[in-house]
Amino acid sequence: MTAELLLSEDQRDALQEVTNIAMGQAGARLAQILDTFVHLSVPRINITGSAQITQAIEHMVGSGASITAIRQSFGGTLHGEAMVVYDELGCRNLADLMGYEDDMGQAQERELLLDVGNVLVGACLNGVADLLNATLSFSAPTLIAENAGVDRLINTQQLTWNYALLVEVRFTLEIRDFTCHLLTLMPEESIIQLKNALDTFMDNL
Amino acid sequence: MLGEIGDFIVTEVSVGIFALDKTYNVLVWNRFMADHSGISAENAIGRNLFELFPELPQKWLSKKIDSVFVLRNFAFTSWEQRPYLFPFRHNRPITGGIDYMQQNATFMPVRDADGEVSAVAVTLFDVTDAAVYQSMLKQAMAKLEESSSRDGLTGVYNRRFTEARLIDEIGRVERYHHDPFSVVLLDLDHFKQVNDTYGHLGGDEVLRVVADRVRGVLRDTDVFGRYGGEEFLLMLPQTNREGAMVVAERIRFAIGSETVQFNDTEIRVTSSLGVAVYVPGSQNVEEVKQQADEALYASKRSGRNRVTFYEASQAA
Repeated sequence: MTAELLLSEDQRDALQEVTNIAMGQAGARLAQILDTFVHLSVPRINITGSAQITQAIEHMVGSGASITAIRQSFGGTLHGEAMVVYDELGCRNLADLMGYEDDMGQAQERELLLDVGNVLVGACLNGVADLLNATLSFSAPTLIAENAGVDRLINTQQLTWNYALLVEVRFTLEIRDFTCHLLTLMPEESIIQLKNALDTFMDNL
Repeated sequence: MLGEIGDFIVTEVSVGIFALDKTYNVLVWNRFMADHSGISAENAIGRNLFELFPELPQKWLSKKIDSVFVLRNFAFTSWEQRPYLFPFRHNRPITGGIDYMQQNATFMPVRDADGEVSAVAVTLFDVTDAAVYQSMLKQAMAKLEESSSRDGLTGVYNRRFTEARLIDEIGRVERYHHDPFSVVLLDLDHFKQVNDTYGHLGGDEVLRVVADRVRGVLRDTDVFGRYGGEEFLLMLPQTNREGAMVVAERIRFAIGSETVQFNDTEIRVTSSLGVAVYVPGSQNVEEVKQQADEALYASKRSGRNRVTFYEASQAA
């Protein structure tokens, strides 16, 4: 790995700090939307080589499980892709909290997966962006896996990057059976921008 | 000058643009929205969106708009899950074959100087053309799949497709705890003699007629495939032992009740059937097929032209 991609100890601490604060804020904001307390885990931060990416994700979300997942691009000061990985329950237990009626067809179930994913991604990444004085815009989310294996998330035959920053946060709800993982992935060139933003953040402390 | 150009673009661009405040009152309403809704900007601005369009799904849409204010986040809707928000006419009234304009919408937070979200700006794209092409593509794909899943002679499903459906059904039973399904294996009795006596053309005619007769007694949800030369496999979803035995008996009777007309001769045909039920959690595809096969063999052994249900004791 080239040295410019490595986070210094200070940068790593700062990123951990920034993501911790952002997740706290995200939890409070999500509670306003979902009318229930949302628990977010302490973010896990990793820099992963492209050959190890599936392994790294399996380590975080568990291997062998049947998952459903959406992805969404973000751009602006930082760019990359976010994924929300659901277990076999999907989002069905969140339907009423997101304003859906009881009788949902397949299209509505998919829309709910996209809606929930979009809200979780936005809540977390906007929080990080605000702290780092970055601006972000988002593309529409798309479904990338339905009841599939974790190895379906990323086609490792076709990767155009060598290293990526991987940040994982796990969500659980207090009153409903619901778990999912948010994976934020940023390729090499975005890591360098992130390092600059972290340096500025530390200078301003 | 720049502001004027910006205003001009927002007004004239052929994309729907509107903006809402926290109470869903309309702040901006461009010409695209006015032209398609029949509600002018003067009549829309200052009015509540849900009063202007009572048919909008308010519970869901207000939640989405709220999330943009609270999370300072983008939000989206896609025609693939929700074909449209507003029932607008589209520009393919003749060739479209679609009821309303298909729409993709993006909801964007408009931040004030303090970083707080003061409004939500919405862009609404007409994606009817993409929807039309996609539905054409889907039809073509479905036709292709259909033609590659059928047996050429009898028109029933081929072996590959039938097995794929068996695997699908096991998945459904396990995932959604559907009722178990039954598998019926059917073999024509003494078919070799038919071929020897009447030639392959006679044999082919028998297979075609038998397939028609079986189809006549099946339900829409049953899957009926040709499995090998004169062997057929049926998958009966949500059907228990009693139900499957009734269907199998009906099939046996339908096949043997009349002779098959071939040129000037009448060919008598009977069939032997074996029935097994898939029990969730305990079996795989091979096992349930094996059980139906053992039951079929028992029908053959005990004189043919009959239906046998698989009993575990037979296996011993």
